[in-house]
Amino acid sequence: MLASAGLWLRTGPFVAHVRSRIPSVGRGIQALYGDFPWLQSCDFADFHVELRAPYGIRRWYQPQVYFISDSRSVFRPLPYPQAFPMLEWGLNWCVANLANHYLMFHAAAVAKDDHALILPAPPGSGKSTLCAGLVCRGWRLLSDETTLVDLSTGMLQGLARPISLKNASIGVIRDFAPEAFLNEPCFDTLKGTVAHMRPPRNSVDRVMAPAKPTWLVFPRYQAGAVTALTPRGHGDAFMALAGNAFNYRSLGRVAFEATADLVDQCRTFDFMYSALDEAIEVFDELACRR
Amino acid sequence: MNWHVGGDDPLTRLLVGERAIADMSLALWDRLIPQAREASMLATVAWQVEQAAAWDSVPEPARVHLESAWRVADQNARGVAWELECLREALAALVEPPVLLKGAAYKAADLPNAHGRICHDIDLLFPRAVLEQVEALLFLAGWMTTHLSDYDQRYYREWMHELPPMQHLRRGSTLDVHHNILPETFVVRPDPERLLERALPLEEWPGYRVLCPAHMIMHSVVHLFSETEWDRGLRDLYDVHVLVEHFASQHEATFWKDTLQEAQLLDLERFLYYGLVVCQRRFGTRIPADVLMALRKTAPRWPMRDFMEWLFQRGLDTRVCAHYPVSSALARPALFLRGHWIKMPPLLLMRHLFHKAFLAPDDNAGIGAPGNRPEQHG
Repeated sequence: MLASAGLWLRTGPFVAHVRSRIPSVGRGIQALYGDFPWLQSCDFADFHVELRAPYGIRRWYQPQVYFISDSRSVFRPLPYPQAFPMLEWGLNWCVANLANHYLMFHAAAVAKDDHALILPAPPGSGKSTLCAGLVCRGWRLLSDETTLVDLSTGMLQGLARPISLKNASIGVIRDFAPEAFLNEPCFDTLKGTVAHMRPPRNSVDRVMAPAKPTWLVFPRYQAGAVTALTPRGHGDAFMALAGNAFNYRSLGRVAFEATADLVDQCRTFDFMYSALDEAIEVFDELACRR
Repeated sequence: MNWHVGGDDPLTRLLVGERAIADMSLALWDRLIPQAREASMLATVAWQVEQAAAWDSVPEPARVHLESAWRVADQNARGVAWELECLREALAALVEPPVLLKGAAYKAADLPNAHGRICHDIDLLFPRAVLEQVEALLFLAGWMTTHLSDYDQRYYREWMHELPPMQHLRRGSTLDVHHNILPETFVVRPDPERLLERALPLEEWPGYRVLCPAHMIMHSVVHLFSETEWDRGLRDLYDVHVLVEHFASQHEATFWKDTLQEAQLLDLERFLYYGLVVCQRRFGTRIPADVLMALRKTAPRWPMRDFMEWLFQRGLDTRVCAHYPVSSALARPALFLRGHWIKMPPLLLMRHLFHKAFLAPDDNAGIGAPGNRPEQHG
């Protein structure tokens, strides 16, 4: 079905029409999106995507894969075995580029009792590992990559898509939560080894429940560091958050006001950690003290 | 050959008003939105909905995408207005006000096609004699030249009709400074003096001028029909359609006569013919028969003329909703080659392409650029 008409997958507020003849893509979707609503046909999709091999020589010689959105390739091709991660990255691209009715941050977000913890950070800061850890300990997953702010309500809208884990994080999460499902890792990507963690059923089922921004924490993983949560001034936090926005420039004043409102509602911190379980404890306590 | 007047695709039919917004089903929006995105016209569609006060007729799943595009276009318009303010200050010392071209001109003159049109850079036209002064004034105001290799500098300054693009140090905006509307090496060389002579001042933007209606249309036509990349072709053709209808109705008595006369003086009759005929077939633009007859004489004879028209039509089809996908896929590279062929004489073209292919350092734009690496998104 994926190979012919494709399937329509609902992830939070978006419907993605996905087509591919590539077996690893089908396997990946089955393994990681099993709990998501999907349809065999639908009148409307927000994104129309396809993963396919090139038509030329690279179909057979050192085979590659293209990610196509709206009938055009939006990325350079990747090696064929990376087709499923490419779907994930491609869907992230679609959201970040085509959903300007939201204000979007490059940040992970999780929620406890519909109160959201936002973790903005550049790649390599350990936010995905932290996000996965929190989600395995009862926090609801909103997103590991793109935090969406509804411009009319100021509330966060989740996507609850699979969490992307890289390199050492894969082992860390496997040890931390053996019951969590991780798919087969993909080796030799530009980011190293990549695997995806299936989101908890509860997060997927409750994805349309908005969450109120409550804590804004800038995480940084540092091996051997002492776990430390230090308050950060609102002004400083605003600048750092705005620096992590995907579409701040495109939205202009609207983005300024929405970011300021969000920061105003939150308690803002810097966070340094090296041990995942200690980190989770800190946030659990934060949630209790609210 | 089968033509589709008004096009069979949902985008064209909506733009020309052949299909009412209220009659659009969700499934039709599902086809239109990707098509409009590809042509960079989603915000233009949003504007049409706004004009028709038809937001309630648009189903929610589609509406958010129009809203998304509109927000971006709206902010872009503010950005352009701010840039124009800053530029005006920077260029105040010039004797003759600069002439705005393309998107910035449409916005400043508040022309009907300005709404929802995204402007990625600002294009200005100056007499060649003041270029040095202009470059100096811009430099003082924080504009830096790009494309710093010797080859690129020569390419722009000697062969093209513009300086290398300039970028503002702090604001990051891009400026294209032209001294003509077509390259020095182009197969046709219109006289820039005539364009500047007849440029008109703007009431809402003192300190700027725009091309007169006939020249504005010709620039729009020539810009599209000499293009190598036709990705935004439909949008550029829509510009021609809207401008022609607007000016023809505003200056009923003189517009066509003036346009024909200027086309002859600038040696752009053939381009204008192609532009108008393709526009009429695509969007049903109202053009008097005698105007087309007069221009037809400058077009090549059959079958070349018909073949060229067919080529342009197929090149304008979007990849999404292409009625003849194979023909369109063949037309695009053909137009790419044609664009290069008419841009430079053959020997110079070969040298240039050789340089680009083998000698130039990796181009920062395009599919290999960091923004186009999928791993950056996860």
